[in-house]
Amino acid sequence: MNDSVLAFTLAAAVAAGTPLALAALGELITERSGILNLGVEGMMLLGAVTTFLVASATGSTALAMLAGAAAGAALALAHAALSISLRANQIVSGLALVIFGTGLSTYLGRPVEGVPLPPGARITRTSVPLLQDLPFLGRVLFQQDLVVYATWVLTALTALYLFRTRPGLALRSVGESPATADAMGLRVNTIRYVHTVIGGVLCGVAGAYLILARVPAWSQAATTNGIGFIAIALVVFASWRPWRALLGAYIFGLALRANFALQAAGVTAIPAEFLAMAPYLLTILVLIALSASDLRHRAGAPEALGLAYAREER
Amino acid sequence: MTPAPDPPATAGVDLHPGGRPVMEARGISKHFPGVVANDHVDLALYAGEVHALLGENGAGKSTLASILAGLYQADAGELRLAGEPVVLRSPREALARGVGMVHQHFRLVRRFTVAENVALGDRSQPLVMSTPDVQRAVVALGERYGLPVRPEAVVGDLTVGEQQRVEIVKTLYRGVDVLLLDEPTSVLTPQETEALFGTVRAMAAEGKAVVFISHKLAEVVAIADRVTVMRDGRVVGSQPVASTSVRELARLMVGRAIDLDVVRPPQRPGEVVLTLDHVTVDHDTRRGSLTDVSLEVAAGEIVGIAGVSGNGQRPLAEVAAGLLAPDHGRVVVGGRDVTGRGPRAARAAGLAYIPEDRLGTGLAPSLTIAENLQLTRPHGPVLDRRRWTADATRLMQEFDIRAPGPATTTSSLSGGNIQKVLLARELDAGPSTIVAAAPTRGLDVGAIDTVRRLLAERRLQGCGILLISEDLDEVVTLADRILVLFEGRLVHTCDAEGADITELGLAMAGAGR
Amino acid sequence: MSAPTRDRVDDTPPSGTIRAPRRLALEPRQEVSRGVLVAVPVLAVLLALIVSALFLRLTGHDPVTVYRVMVRASFASRFGIADTLVSATPLILTGLAALVSFRVRLWNIGAEGQLYLGAVAAAGMALLLGDRLATPVNVVLMIVAGALGGMAWIAIPALARAWLRTNEIITTLLLNSVALLFINWLIFGSRSIWRDPDSGQFPQGQRIPAAAEFPRFGTTRVHLGLLVAVLAAVVVWLVLTRTRFGFRMRVLGDSEDAARYAGVPVRGMVLAVLLLSGALAGIAGAAEVGGLSRRLDPSSLAIGLGYAGIIVAALARLNPGGVVLVAVLLGGVRNAGTALQSLPDRVPMEVAVMLEGAILLFALGSEVLVRYRIQWPWSRPADDPAQGAGAAEGTDAAEGAADPAPGVDAADAAESAGGAAG
Repeated sequence: MNDSVLAFTLAAAVAAGTPLALAALGELITERSGILNLGVEGMMLLGAVTTFLVASATGSTALAMLAGAAAGAALALAHAALSISLRANQIVSGLALVIFGTGLSTYLGRPVEGVPLPPGARITRTSVPLLQDLPFLGRVLFQQDLVVYATWVLTALTALYLFRTRPGLALRSVGESPATADAMGLRVNTIRYVHTVIGGVLCGVAGAYLILARVPAWSQAATTNGIGFIAIALVVFASWRPWRALLGAYIFGLALRANFALQAAGVTAIPAEFLAMAPYLLTILVLIALSASDLRHRAGAPEALGLAYAREER
Repeated sequence: MTPAPDPPATAGVDLHPGGRPVMEARGISKHFPGVVANDHVDLALYAGEVHALLGENGAGKSTLASILAGLYQADAGELRLAGEPVVLRSPREALARGVGMVHQHFRLVRRFTVAENVALGDRSQPLVMSTPDVQRAVVALGERYGLPVRPEAVVGDLTVGEQQRVEIVKTLYRGVDVLLLDEPTSVLTPQETEALFGTVRAMAAEGKAVVFISHKLAEVVAIADRVTVMRDGRVVGSQPVASTSVRELARLMVGRAIDLDVVRPPQRPGEVVLTLDHVTVDHDTRRGSLTDVSLEVAAGEIVGIAGVSGNGQRPLAEVAAGLLAPDHGRVVVGGRDVTGRGPRAARAAGLAYIPEDRLGTGLAPSLTIAENLQLTRPHGPVLDRRRWTADATRLMQEFDIRAPGPATTTSSLSGGNIQKVLLARELDAGPSTIVAAAPTRGLDVGAIDTVRRLLAERRLQGCGILLISEDLDEVVTLADRILVLFEGRLVHTCDAEGADITELGLAMAGAGR
Repeated sequence: MSAPTRDRVDDTPPSGTIRAPRRLALEPRQEVSRGVLVAVPVLAVLLALIVSALFLRLTGHDPVTVYRVMVRASFASRFGIADTLVSATPLILTGLAALVSFRVRLWNIGAEGQLYLGAVAAAGMALLLGDRLATPVNVVLMIVAGALGGMAWIAIPALARAWLRTNEIITTLLLNSVALLFINWLIFGSRSIWRDPDSGQFPQGQRIPAAAEFPRFGTTRVHLGLLVAVLAAVVVWLVLTRTRFGFRMRVLGDSEDAARYAGVPVRGMVLAVLLLSGALAGIAGAAEVGGLSRRLDPSSLAIGLGYAGIIVAALARLNPGGVVLVAVLLGGVRNAGTALQSLPDRVPMEVAVMLEGAILLFALGSEVLVRYRIQWPWSRPADDPAQGAGAAEGTDAAEGAADPAPGVDAADAAESAGGAAG
């Protein structure tokens, strides 16, 4: 494999990993508050189809993205209401979101199935001046679109927010020990609502990006293709840390793109499907290894993840 | 019992002539279902004093402190801060007005650093926090009050004693004038206790009022300026420590008429049915520890384990019942060595166990009465539900369990009936040995009587009973012999007949010898 | 609390009663009446229909017509009912798979993948031996193979959960994707025995021998799988209610401490329950291959049957009889999707999936009505004074103290009030 094929593959991996990174960051923020939302796939799909419809109607990229974000937020709000206020089982509620989101988005998208996106609404490449000319790295990282760059900023902001700010500290405490947070006067459920919806916004944006930049026509099957579930795994894989999630997203992106690269390089010894399995199997191994070691207490999930908090309950 | 005299009046004369209390509680009452936790309690705290709240478990000390700290609302009465009436609706409000509490069970996020825990919920922090600032403040407070903590350490890695320091620092960081310490020494080693005393003195010297809640007489005498003794939710005495004695305080704390309701005809004990032989359980933060505990229970006798809760009762009960394998030593039930062989082996050897946690360990909450009555029985692969219902009907009648029927969900029963379900199952198995932990805790008077009567009956029928109870009356009333458990060791042994209650109180408080 | 502090000093007499402000609170119900049990799911379905009707109306379809067509297509004719039952067959089995694990508070989200592997194993068995054996033997062997396939697929998550307490939600979920890739590889990426060697450009599964096909009832598409599924529901019900194993499941699902106290082998139970769950999902795959697709066909298998099973179990409140009923209802909804496309204004069939999701969301939301009684801020406290006080103090963690069995959340509150309880 020569240098330019490698650069091309890595650049493609970054692009393919971007929607994953957005969704994973969203889920990470949600899970940090102690809410497990397995409905990422549903939120992404609804975000994608809403984006497509608005883009078709208005031709505006910004409006379309906003609409996608709002759609993701709306579904996340439903999950928040169910799992926080009504104390429903978060696992079942999340999966209900997947099914409802899939059904609704396919239904809404049926009339426009296969119709191409208006070209004006597409997100196009915006190279970074100067940096794009860097040898190798320039081609991998700096000849991408604005959303890719925005994802880096977002990752940095998320990390800053989580680990350096007052609300970030409150967010983490709510996910770790809601009883302590409550005793310190924080409003546990409000904090959880807000961050579940923020997670939904990012998942909606991830879906919007898929439509606007990656698969510029609506098709339910081809749009997310299970990315939502990978995003959930990524959060675990990344031990709930933003930069690791971004890196993990690019690794998964590479796995998603590796088929093409290997085919291009004439390697056929490993079937494409097995290559695609690798990230999942790796994540499972990491999970098992984490629980087998004492690391769990440090790197593991927020301790109150998946548990509704009610002060007056036993 | 008559309400106590107004303590501020007497105390004010003794220690604080003309001074005004920084915090005052007047006529505080607090009810929990079935219990009066505080009954017209008065308390006055002055700047610069260490004020001990002394009393047995259940005397109402923690409830009073929780009301002062805004965690609970009083049903009646009022609080005053610097003479002004206030309503403290939450710990945050209390903290904002300078009242902080360190609970027995810490309010810390285990995976946060010390600095993060200190900064959590502090609205004076800037949006983007400056960790070095918080760290410096933590170190400064630590130096000022003798509370060495590393601000960058993760709380979960710290010892319990260190975590307590973090809790105190957290409270001091908010600038409190009144600090409530709930049983602070119960988790400390003697050396750590000594260090804590230094901190307490430093705080008092700076003009803070420190409330020191304890049941350990020796400590109260060592640290406090003034002591208020509580019993059964009431204040029974309040005076300067200098004008009292350990013996006097013990009498105030424990001294009540002992009602010998349960007839205890003397009988000669039979052969030994339960032996704990040099049992040691190493420290385990969840359960507590035991050090070299040896005891024997013979058929037809009740051996009472007295002691303040948290001194090793739970591991003692669990080791005897086979749930916990001891690190050293042996457990013999009915002549069979069952050490580390699990609960089923202990049962097969004739042991019945009434755990402290009735609903949740002894019984499965959402199962029916009939099912819970079969929980520990051996079963064939296919269940005989008809027999279960018949058994349940019989036992419900025999043990007077008040419920709509055998199919009633257990958790919907009252506390007394829940305990009767547990006793029915355990006693109906025809055990030769019974381990009963806190069997009457939280029950109403009628149910308490039933439980005690049942245990006394079994004794007459030749059961050997190990009764673990923090209720000293209960132990004295029921047991033939009394052992006192303190910090995981048996520190005192006596016959119940003619036992000196003051001696026992002293032993329970670790001042025995 | 950032809410402005109400000044209550003046209106509070020294010995008066101080109460925290009331707010909306949920109070756990002790006993649930039958009326509530029936009314709540009906309410949920109605609300789902109303919300879906809104979407239909917004997109220019007439909800009444759509619903009428759906009912007619799935429940009004002999063949409609038959097709509904065909759709319900795998849902019953995956619903049972979710049920057995959820009962023990284990979360097997991997029925989807376990179903694929059950299908692989059953198809493999049929392709290897089907020619040489009689149909009854084939059917039994395929079902056993399907069960083993499902068990194999959950084995690693189950072992990790039992011994290392590894979160089974994520591991089982991830294995779904792996399983899908695996069956795609068998058909599209390899020259395995599952692939029809003559299918060339458009690869498809090799058809299983006729002797391995599950018998069908009369001229309908209803196949033996339905009987197997209903039988499985009966067996699960019997196991849960009549056997020691089921009793231990209930104890473990209720309280792990009580299970240990009663001497239940906790690890063994966790492993056994998860394997049973996987086996049931695997049998669903075997039935799909033997009764419906008659080949390993990724596109007809990968229609979310495993995920739908979780919904079925949740809607049925983890009750085996309920699973059969709900599966038939959802089977009808799914089956009706196809009929919609024949309408003049071509309503997309995905209405069915949307409706399925909406029913689940509302069912989940309304479940709160079953578990809790809602205390409105303006309603009077409950009759029992103790409970009334508790509700009013919902804001200051006093309930933990009032409760005889403090759990995790309010444990420390209960401890500090331990004095009160003792």
